[in-house]
Amino acid sequence: MIQDKRASLAEAASLVQDGDVVALQNMATQLAPMAVVRELIRQGRLNLGIVGLLAGIPVDWMAAAGVMDRFIGGAVTMEQFGLCNRYRKGVEAGAIRVEELSETAVNARLGAGARNLPFLPTRGLIGTELIGMDPDNLRLIEDPFGGRPVVACRALVPDVAIVHAHRADRAGNVQLEPTAEWPDLGIMPKAANRVIVTVEEIVETEVLRRRPDRTVLPGFVVDAVVEVPFGAHPTSCFPFYGYDSAMHLAWVAAARDDVTTEQFLDRYIREPADQAEYLRAVGGATTMLALERMEHA
Amino acid sequence: MATNPTEVPGYGCTIDELMVVTMSRMMGDDTRAFNGAVSFIPVCAYLLARRTHAPELVWAASSIAIDADPKRIPESTLSDALWDGASMLSNSPFDFWAMAQGARYNTFAFRGAQMDRYGNVNNTVIGPYDKPKVRLPGGGGMADLSCMIPRIYLWSTTHDPRTFVERLDFRSGIGWGDGGDHRERLGLPGGPQACVTNMCVFDFEPESKAMRLASLHPGVTVDDVRGATGFDVLVPGGEIPVTAQPDEEEIRLLREEVDPTGARRREFS
Repeated sequence: MIQDKRASLAEAASLVQDGDVVALQNMATQLAPMAVVRELIRQGRLNLGIVGLLAGIPVDWMAAAGVMDRFIGGAVTMEQFGLCNRYRKGVEAGAIRVEELSETAVNARLGAGARNLPFLPTRGLIGTELIGMDPDNLRLIEDPFGGRPVVACRALVPDVAIVHAHRADRAGNVQLEPTAEWPDLGIMPKAANRVIVTVEEIVETEVLRRRPDRTVLPGFVVDAVVEVPFGAHPTSCFPFYGYDSAMHLAWVAAARDDVTTEQFLDRYIREPADQAEYLRAVGGATTMLALERMEHA
Repeated sequence: MATNPTEVPGYGCTIDELMVVTMSRMMGDDTRAFNGAVSFIPVCAYLLARRTHAPELVWAASSIAIDADPKRIPESTLSDALWDGASMLSNSPFDFWAMAQGARYNTFAFRGAQMDRYGNVNNTVIGPYDKPKVRLPGGGGMADLSCMIPRIYLWSTTHDPRTFVERLDFRSGIGWGDGGDHRERLGLPGGPQACVTNMCVFDFEPESKAMRLASLHPGVTVDDVRGATGFDVLVPGGEIPVTAQPDEEEIRLLREEVDPTGARRREFS
């Protein structure tokens, strides 16, 4: 008998405690587990440390809502939509501390965490000032085999990893459509102590068994799986739908000012009771159809 | 977002087009390139080089989509709309980073909010790291790629003293380091080859590895470049050449095939 990992967003988000280190899937405007991010904001979580490779709007929303106080990762940007100004203000005001890593250092730290190794090396970072800023986690070391020095990146084991994917079954086996794979799904859930997955659809296990090569995460490492259509919105879930340019632009405009920031958070995050209400608030079926056609570009 | 591009006097093209063509001509059949975020100028340069003198050039769109051939350049150079026609969507940690760290990719173009005379860049902070005046996005992959990839190209559409500075507030990507043989002593391959700006082209003086004026775009003087650069620009003796004029065919291909919607002008907002 397989264990049923299906949960509501509220139940899934309750796996995240105040102060946790949370690994968050995202690549600029692509594939972030936004429904869980909104739920964490609604539940008023505090002092989260967010781990990200190239994080965008989810980190800006969490910074705006005051749920995070650390960022550990490569960069925070909404690419063509610009800097994440609420995150930036938080850092400049001292409310958010940054432990900046390069991309290979993020991969190495989480990869070591996933493999139960004390560290993994990279040839990145050499000659930059980033090594010196983080001596607890990054050290330039000699190659024991006589080659050039490498940077040892200390294992990072997040309390929770949160990712979004195309489909799963009730046991939490997770499948991805053929797509560009950033490190997040391959590494974050394997490094973290608890794993939350949202998916576009939950299907019968038989459906997954037709294409086991597309399964990227076995159910036994997943703690909660939640069906959330358009769960990555306003980021993209290629090849199902693109990112929402209008929503990014609306956020950029709102984020310029404290009052409009709060109004935005209320309207799109705090007030909609569930995903269906959220989708109505952001334009409903018309918007979703346009995003499925990838009209953003 | 895009503003009206500046005409290049006498060249029948605009400054974005001159920059793309100039960078394109620096690429060859042995170029194996990829690109990061907001990299319209290099993306156009790779695609143009592939259509003209370097048909064998390899380009991985967004560092992911190998040999992509998009019908137009979308508003992002990092996301899916750039991936059309790819022969492979590579997986980032195991495909892309293996080929980057192994220098199977050999060419990368990047830039920073600040750049210094040795082609080091800052995308991390203005002011102290722990209490920044401005928190920038972060170095991301650049902090790795700057020390892995042998042929580095820099570009800037905002040639001014805020961008080209005497001293970086933070070194988040390495060019020639402290100059001279510093990069080599660190065991890092190659280094910056050139920097293409909206005013001129810099190369790097072979001994000191400092930026040196290689050519001026039409209408720009040495004093203009000096005034717009926060460090002392190396100016070789004799007449400084004018940046070569693009061919009609290069301009046609760029306008009609590579980038028909003018996405490259997004870098000039």
